[in-house]
Amino acid sequence: MDIIIQGLKEGLMLVWSMDPKIIQITLVSLQVSLSALLIAACLGIPLGAALALKEVPGRRLFLNITYTFMGLPPVLAGLIVYLVLTTRGPLGQFQLLFTPTAMICAQILLAFPIICGLTARTVMAQRQEVYDTAVTLGASRRQAAWAIIRESRMGIIAALTTALGRLVAEVGAVMLVGGNIEGSTRVLTTSIVLETRMGEDSRAIGIGIILLVISFSIIVLINLLEKRSFKNDAGIQIT
Amino acid sequence: MTPVFKLHKIIKRYGQREVLHIEEINIHGQKICAILGPNGSGKTTLMRIMGLLTRNDTGTVNILGEDIHWGKEQLLKLRRQMTMVTQTSFMFEGNVYDNVAYGLKIRRMPERGIRAAVEKSLELLGMSAFIAADARNLSGGERQKVAIARALAVEPRVLFLDEPTANIDPQSAVEIERHVRFINRELGTTIILVTHNLFQARRLADEVFFMWDGKMVERGSAKDIFEQPQDERTRSFLSGETVF
Ligand SMILES: Nc1ncnc2c1ncn2[C@@H]1O[C@H](COP(=O)(O)OP(=O)(O)OP(=O)(O)O)[C@@H](O)[C@H]1O
Ligand SMILES: [Mg+2]
Repeated sequence: MDIIIQGLKEGLMLVWSMDPKIIQITLVSLQVSLSALLIAACLGIPLGAALALKEVPGRRLFLNITYTFMGLPPVLAGLIVYLVLTTRGPLGQFQLLFTPTAMICAQILLAFPIICGLTARTVMAQRQEVYDTAVTLGASRRQAAWAIIRESRMGIIAALTTALGRLVAEVGAVMLVGGNIEGSTRVLTTSIVLETRMGEDSRAIGIGIILLVISFSIIVLINLLEKRSFKNDAGIQIT
Repeated sequence: MTPVFKLHKIIKRYGQREVLHIEEINIHGQKICAILGPNGSGKTTLMRIMGLLTRNDTGTVNILGEDIHWGKEQLLKLRRQMTMVTQTSFMFEGNVYDNVAYGLKIRRMPERGIRAAVEKSLELLGMSAFIAADARNLSGGERQKVAIARALAVEPRVLFLDEPTANIDPQSAVEIERHVRFINRELGTTIILVTHNLFQARRLADEVFFMWDGKMVERGSAKDIFEQPQDERTRSFLSGETVF
């Protein structure tokens, strides 16, 4: 028990001291995960919405595959990217393995199915009523599609935050394709693994606290976004 | 004068089931037509086909003199002239103003004109006080009134009303009927009305269609249908009995 309390104390001190190394690691973490999120969102939101709105052949199958990949183990995503980027792999010539770019690629693979799948689901849940209402008021197909996406924005924001939470917290993919190189590909989660292994419990705990603070900030961010578009957040009434 | 709606041999199926089978309907402009019939008899489906929301499986639809081929441009052009208040009165996220303004915004009306039109519509429905209210928190009847205001704001040539007073208190219903009659008489709007309120149909309608099991079994002036229904099913429906 003492070990934990001692660790917590030292961990908090570490956060408080703003250790430059730890700040650098935190920034890499955020940079990798936010870049991956941004790219996955640019691909996943339009594709998810299009799949929900348009009847194209193979759509059901594609969505089912997407839903399956929402639970893809991070280490598998890492393995896929590893195999593509390794020296003998199809993109080996670019020597991207063990760079932040490789980590971003692996995380895109993790975030894309979540964003695409959840966007498709939330758009599907609304589409008929919103479409009917928009169209009967004179909307063109494009305007009606836009109305559906607008009405789905809460669900899309939830998809983005779910994905970001997963990216910041995962260790398998970034470890495998990043290699945990100090000053370059070391991120929060991989440092926790390393520090624990080296017996630096309090450093591990300190980094863990930073990770929790980031997750908490993400939650606060969603709440703010929700409040902005949902002025009434009283929720349902249960008696 | 060409009819506003000309439907010929319309069939609509869901799976194996034929939910609508109409031989022939002609509706002339500037009339108020009421569609009556029991639940599930195909009233909404018929209205959705006329409003170009649901595509018929066979038969031809002609609206305002145009044969419908479901091309994008034609649909948009005709939809800009017709508006429907659906049974659910769906509200977009946002306040009442945003909702009523929607049809005008997508028509790219200048902001000042929009505000004036929205205020006028809400005023007609007695909903001015709710202009800034969150549309998702309205009561069922309030929502229906806002949906009607939203439809009136775009000044359509054809207005479909699917049970517009189902959740409305008697006094407001009388008000709404008055406005429906007003826009029909003054603006020449053609009105297609589905209602379960027989008195309302009788008060408002020039012409009544009676639906039964996907078929139109009787049509005529309100007076004829209510006073001398020819079809046995109409007769029993109007008297509240059931036929077996
Ligand atoms: N999208 C759909 N898929 C399958 N069946 C449908 C669909 N829409 C309508 N139906 C069926 O078609 C029949 C006619 O429905 P419709 O909504 O036109 O009835 P209605 O006359 O408007 O009834 P109500 O008075 O209850 O509003 C019903 O039996 C309904 O179950
Ligand atoms: Mg109906």
